[in-house]
Amino acid sequence: MSTQHLPEHPDFLWRNPEPKSSYDAVIVGGGGHGLATAYFLAKNHGMTNIAVLEKGWLAGGNMARNTTIIRSNYLWDESAAIYEHALKLWEILPEELEYDFLFSQRGVMNLAHTLGDVRESIRRVGANKLNGVDAEWLDPQQVKELCPILNIRDNIRYPVMGATYQPRAGIAKHDHVAWAFARKCDEMGVDIIQNCEVTGFLKDGDRVVGVKTNRGTINTEKVGLCAAGHSSVLAEMAGFQLPIQSHPLQALVSELHEPVHPTVVMSNHVHVYVSQAHKGELVMGAGVDSYNGYGQRGSFHVIEQQMAAAVELFPIFARAHVLRTWGGIVDTTLDASPIVGLTPVENMFVNCGWGTGGFKGTPAAGMTFAHTIATGTPHRLNKPFSLERFETGALIDEHGAAAVAH
Amino acid sequence: MAETAASPTQSSAEQNLSARVSPARQLAEAFTAGSLAGTVELSELPFLTMVGLRADAGSETAQRLAAATGGLPAASGAVATTGDTSVLWLGPSEFLVVAPTEAHESLGGDLIPALREALGNDAGQVVDLSANRTTFELVGPRVRAVLEKGCSLDLHPRVFKTGTAFSTEIANIPAILWKTGEDSFRIFPRASFAEFLGRWLLDAMREYASPEVP
Amino acid sequence: MLLIPCPNCGPRDETEFHYGGQAHVPYPENPNELTDTEWSRYLFYRENPKGIFAERWVHSTGCRQWFNMLRDTVSYDIQAVYPMGTRRPDLAADPAVEAGTASTAADSTTTGTAAPSLSATSLAASPTRTAPEGATK
Ligand SMILES: Cc1cc2nc3c(=O)[nH]c(=O)nc-3n(C[C@H](O)[C@H](O)[C@H](O)COP(=O)(O)OP(=O)(O)OC[C@H]3O[C@@H](n4cnc5c(N)ncnc54)[C@H](O)[C@@H]3O)c2cc1C
Ligand SMILES: [Zn+2]
Repeated sequence: MSTQHLPEHPDFLWRNPEPKSSYDAVIVGGGGHGLATAYFLAKNHGMTNIAVLEKGWLAGGNMARNTTIIRSNYLWDESAAIYEHALKLWEILPEELEYDFLFSQRGVMNLAHTLGDVRESIRRVGANKLNGVDAEWLDPQQVKELCPILNIRDNIRYPVMGATYQPRAGIAKHDHVAWAFARKCDEMGVDIIQNCEVTGFLKDGDRVVGVKTNRGTINTEKVGLCAAGHSSVLAEMAGFQLPIQSHPLQALVSELHEPVHPTVVMSNHVHVYVSQAHKGELVMGAGVDSYNGYGQRGSFHVIEQQMAAAVELFPIFARAHVLRTWGGIVDTTLDASPIVGLTPVENMFVNCGWGTGGFKGTPAAGMTFAHTIATGTPHRLNKPFSLERFETGALIDEHGAAAVAH
Repeated sequence: MAETAASPTQSSAEQNLSARVSPARQLAEAFTAGSLAGTVELSELPFLTMVGLRADAGSETAQRLAAATGGLPAASGAVATTGDTSVLWLGPSEFLVVAPTEAHESLGGDLIPALREALGNDAGQVVDLSANRTTFELVGPRVRAVLEKGCSLDLHPRVFKTGTAFSTEIANIPAILWKTGEDSFRIFPRASFAEFLGRWLLDAMREYASPEVP
Repeated sequence: MLLIPCPNCGPRDETEFHYGGQAHVPYPENPNELTDTEWSRYLFYRENPKGIFAERWVHSTGCRQWFNMLRDTVSYDIQAVYPMGTRRPDLAADPAVEAGTASTAADSTTTGTAAPSLSATSLAASPTRTAPEGATK
């Protein structure tokens, strides 16, 4: 690996059209999920008279703020299926979208620091293999071979006792992903409308028939919500509730360094995850702030603790400097799994609850959610992630695979 | 809970004490070596008698307990001291009695039995916590500077008065901080955190061994 | 880092506290009479307002007491603290409620049936409330 120059952008990305008075479908939220949904609606379902409404600038929410880890080594069958589908899409999308967004399959390691971690990890490797997800268990020496700067001595507070490793996992350049989807959407006729905030919904009985925005009312036959941290706010406007809590999630980068860190390392136990971006900055994140927050910022002690953990695992990072920190608003659910599907409002669909880890799911969320919007029915892959699961009790508990934010 | 050895003989009491190992015993030499006379000195005061009390403020139970200790503190920060026994405010209905080693019932002291009697069968608690925490003593003109590295309370004497004590965090662990004199503090970490906090304090003290850089 | 005004101890760093989520969520009186939908509401659904949120905090490494707090989830501005088991103060209607301690009120995880919180500390109304001596920063 060497520090990479960013590829040239295409000359033209997308138009900035005025909103029309009506569309066949409106997607609320121009983050990765909203754009991917619009892309697949147009491409797979021929729905091109549609709009993506974004209250700020395109992909300025969590899409602009995440640490871009992509992997599919989740525990349960339902999760493995949708995340692995996403990973397979990531593998073909640069070509399909004709845009090099630097998808780099450099592998992801999840460290184990206790005997409990070890057992949990080995179990997950087994479950992954059964689901056709590439997964390996590494002993500390193998961990060291893959990532020489990791401290694997056994005299630290949380020694590295091994790791799960997914070789096909990796990172991508998040803003380029958004632009890649946006450009193709635009090409197919989708209107991407920035600075357009949805402030309410028009309903005919239980059926949604339009959206109110700060740029006027727009009639539509279908609405897909892709508002991540703001999902509860939009559901409230539409007259239903979601089992979502919005929390701040922070991340940071260092200054640029020579390539030192060849893979992606995550630790649930000490709460940190680190990769080195293409240009050379170290990118790190930790867990969510405990309190609910829409402020796109969190508390400093979270960052302080995350860096203490990082320095223990990677002693050479002690000399790096924090260049920037920031926060996003993540939409968490109780079982750490997303909600994708129908809502109590007819013709309104919701894709949310991806919480700390929805970047990796972007292509599969978009593809399956587009199916649901177009057909009015769940897709095979998103069916288990319905809102009803909180009533039936068929939860998909991914706290083990998703414990630290990623 | 009230299982007590009936007035142990002096010699077995002494034996008991000599067999005990305090939570920071292994750091005793390091504390001596790391202490800077006249600047900042750290030591462990092992085996103080500590009793946790719980009773609703203002209740009759609280009044009886107050009579047994010589008074209960009324608010955050307050310490009620009578003779060599002090009661620290931990919460609106929770207090910590701190007394010399000899006050412990295994050494023939009657503090704990008296408190137990004061509580009687009423709702509340009298719990021997002597082994729960240990005591560090940090003295010298640099104590404030050392503590400020890891304690977010305002330690300025204008705010933190001598004779007050607060339950707070030092070096990210829970601890009680009691200002016993202008330049002296007692710190009560839980036994299992004693080694960590001891080493943390030694590290925080170390810079004062070097001449100040003007 | 939030600076949280514990009603017993005065303002302390957020690290001394733990978050307890939404306040005023009564345990259903007869859980076995609820439909699955109603039970799911109790188990999994909590308010998630963008704006003022009534939430619970516990001063874990201080006085170990729970209390309720009104906080703005956008600005993180803390607007009031008030005892468990008392009703949510009406920030607009309450006159400058006097600073006071809140700890001895009914400890309650059930419905807020106690009297209106006269002892609630409205921070908006008295931003310079005095903390116990020695406790502040
Ligand atoms: C610090 C951090 C690190 C992360 N790291 C990872 C990681 O390593 N791997 C991973 O897989 N995931 C990660 N995530 C999670 C991931 O970013 C999210 O799950 C994902 O981006 C959510 O989907 P999105 O891109 O559509 O969200 P967003 O980009 O947040 O899009 C939602 C959009 O909706 C818009 N909106 C909201 N309300 C309205 C309205 N009323 N009208 C119009 N528009 C509205 C918002 O402005 C926003 O642009 C991380 C998140 C954060 C914050
Ligand atoms: Zn307190």
